[in-house]
Amino acid sequence: MKHESPAMSPAQVNEIEAEHARWIEQVYEPALERTPERRAFEVDIGERIEPLYSPATLVKAGFDFSKDVGFPGEYPFTRGDSATMFRTEPFVISAYSGYGEATDCNRRFKKLIELGAEQILVALDLPTQCGYDSDDLMSTGEVGKVGVSIDTLADMELLFEGIPFNSVKRVGTLGNSIGPIVLAMYAIVGEKQGLAPADYVVNLQNDPLKEYLARGTQIIPAAPAAKIAVDPVEWCATHAPNWSPITVCYNHLNAGGAGSTWGAALALGNAIHYLDLLVARGIPIDSVAPLFHMFPDERHDFFVSVANLRALRKVWARLLSERYGATDLRSLALKTTVYGHGQETLQEPLNNIVRIGFGTLAYVLGGASYVYIASHDEAVGTPTEETVKVATRTQQIIAHEHGFTDTIDPLGGSYFVETLTKKTADDMWQHIERIDAIGGALRVIDSGFGRDVMNRGAQKRQQRLDRGDRPWVTVNIHPQVPNVPNTAFRLDPTTTERQHSRTAKIRRERDNAHVQHALDTIDRACVSGENMMGPVMEAVRAYATVGEIAERWRRHFGSFEPATSF
Amino acid sequence: MAKVGLDGHDVGARVIARGLLEAGMEVIYTGIRRTPEQIVRVAIDEDVDVVGISILSGAHMALIPRVKNLMNEAGAQDIILVCGGVIPQEDIPELQASGVSQVFLSGTTVADIAKYVQFAVDTRNQKSDALK
Repeated sequence: MKHESPAMSPAQVNEIEAEHARWIEQVYEPALERTPERRAFEVDIGERIEPLYSPATLVKAGFDFSKDVGFPGEYPFTRGDSATMFRTEPFVISAYSGYGEATDCNRRFKKLIELGAEQILVALDLPTQCGYDSDDLMSTGEVGKVGVSIDTLADMELLFEGIPFNSVKRVGTLGNSIGPIVLAMYAIVGEKQGLAPADYVVNLQNDPLKEYLARGTQIIPAAPAAKIAVDPVEWCATHAPNWSPITVCYNHLNAGGAGSTWGAALALGNAIHYLDLLVARGIPIDSVAPLFHMFPDERHDFFVSVANLRALRKVWARLLSERYGATDLRSLALKTTVYGHGQETLQEPLNNIVRIGFGTLAYVLGGASYVYIASHDEAVGTPTEETVKVATRTQQIIAHEHGFTDTIDPLGGSYFVETLTKKTADDMWQHIERIDAIGGALRVIDSGFGRDVMNRGAQKRQQRLDRGDRPWVTVNIHPQVPNVPNTAFRLDPTTTERQHSRTAKIRRERDNAHVQHALDTIDRACVSGENMMGPVMEAVRAYATVGEIAERWRRHFGSFEPATSF
Repeated sequence: MAKVGLDGHDVGARVIARGLLEAGMEVIYTGIRRTPEQIVRVAIDEDVDVVGISILSGAHMALIPRVKNLMNEAGAQDIILVCGGVIPQEDIPELQASGVSQVFLSGTTVADIAKYVQFAVDTRNQKSDALK
């Protein structure tokens, strides 16, 4: 609301500014002399929350409705990535799930679809994500634990038996360090189901760079990992332009200590690196940018979360327009995937239902496109069927009850939310410039800069909790003893053995000469730098294992070195 | 401070490492995705008093007793082993029986961990002094 804004005359603005200052000095502060404020009201991103926001606050922040907010589906997309948003279709109800081996997990997927899940994202176990076969020594104790074990295409075929990919809105997985392998698996299983790529949508996270700062499933050094990750994007631009093969994330960066504003900037820095690699191949920006999604995260502060999503869409649109000259609306309008969380506790875990509900609601009010949700026992381990049901119903309640999705961007225009959105977007942009100055995403990783941002943030968070500055019910308010209940999900103890014997059978029965030939083609692609998708497709089709393919990458590019700073 | 297995979530490990450092202790962090063998080698090479293992993946029963066994085999029985993370109550007695001195669950303050580490090392040193 600059002075030329038609909404308010300069005289009106001046009057409100004066009135706001008067209220603080003559009404609010004298009242505090009788009863002081409860605490400092500093949110996780470090911003101090004011007692009251008004048009005067917006003026101070340099807010301009047309430039900063605008209209849904139009630049700068602050109010939404599409014109109609949830009026025509609520956000996509998505489920992230996986455990054990493929046949057990297949039953869970069918249950989820029956409950109303519209997208299934496969949780892979750590050996699969880190490129080890289930019978590798490195996989000891981890098979089927945090997700389903996938060694070969045969597991993927069993995992989706009776679930045609086009029976849901999207299928996919994270596959951050094994992007080409998992994309190949979805392409080939789709083919075997009699589908063309246009008939279904595959969504991958396939964002290896964040693994070096948080989460930690990296296999090879960062530079070749980023190259291997954009290969599937280039492949999709030609063969499956309706798929979404890369989702640049800051959920782990935020959870690892970065905070949501810095998390966004670090992720945008990673996105810039991927986009630059693709543009350098001579691909037009408007052929690849629509294939990019982002995965924002803010689980501490409700209104910051709403502001963060609005700010992210705005910064993305500016970045794609100003830096890359993108003009296609699909390049500029960022689709977001979120995972509804709260600050969950092991103390009285049922309370997490409420926390997760609020956390998810914030994302929905911020206009998220694809919404996943945590189950209230997720802090303990793999959710049970019962807790997954509560989580799915929570998504449906938010989508359909209370009128949460009746109007577009319902918090737009709130003095508080608009001030936070403006500041957050400005900060994100400044942080991106800082990352540019450092030399981009790879330098952020290898210089230790990213790690420092995260270490400092994690430390600050812990101190706020230990001091009680950050209230947390059952932790520092009405504290209770943490308890991991024995009713937690327990994996069938025969899982590892069953997985081992299936993979051993595949290794015996497949055409091993074909496998060898395909793996050698991967070696050659490592040397030549050609797109990895063709050779990996051939290897996956021949039932090469995830470990065999990843081993070729390790052999050629070397293994990652873990960071040891703290 | 060590991360064992394939679990890459190390916020807790880093925060505690920093907290112990600030409490005046010398701290080495192994980084993520170390094998039991690698952890024991570092512990012996660096002559540490305590090994703290953080694990959230659920593979604790397969990996943590193995660390203790390897330490015993290497003649490093006196290194105190503690662990923390997402560990169900029913697994705690078995971990303790395998030689883990203490299991810290989420919600434990860094100060409490520092206090325990100091106490455990002092107790061990007094015992070994008494034997001299």
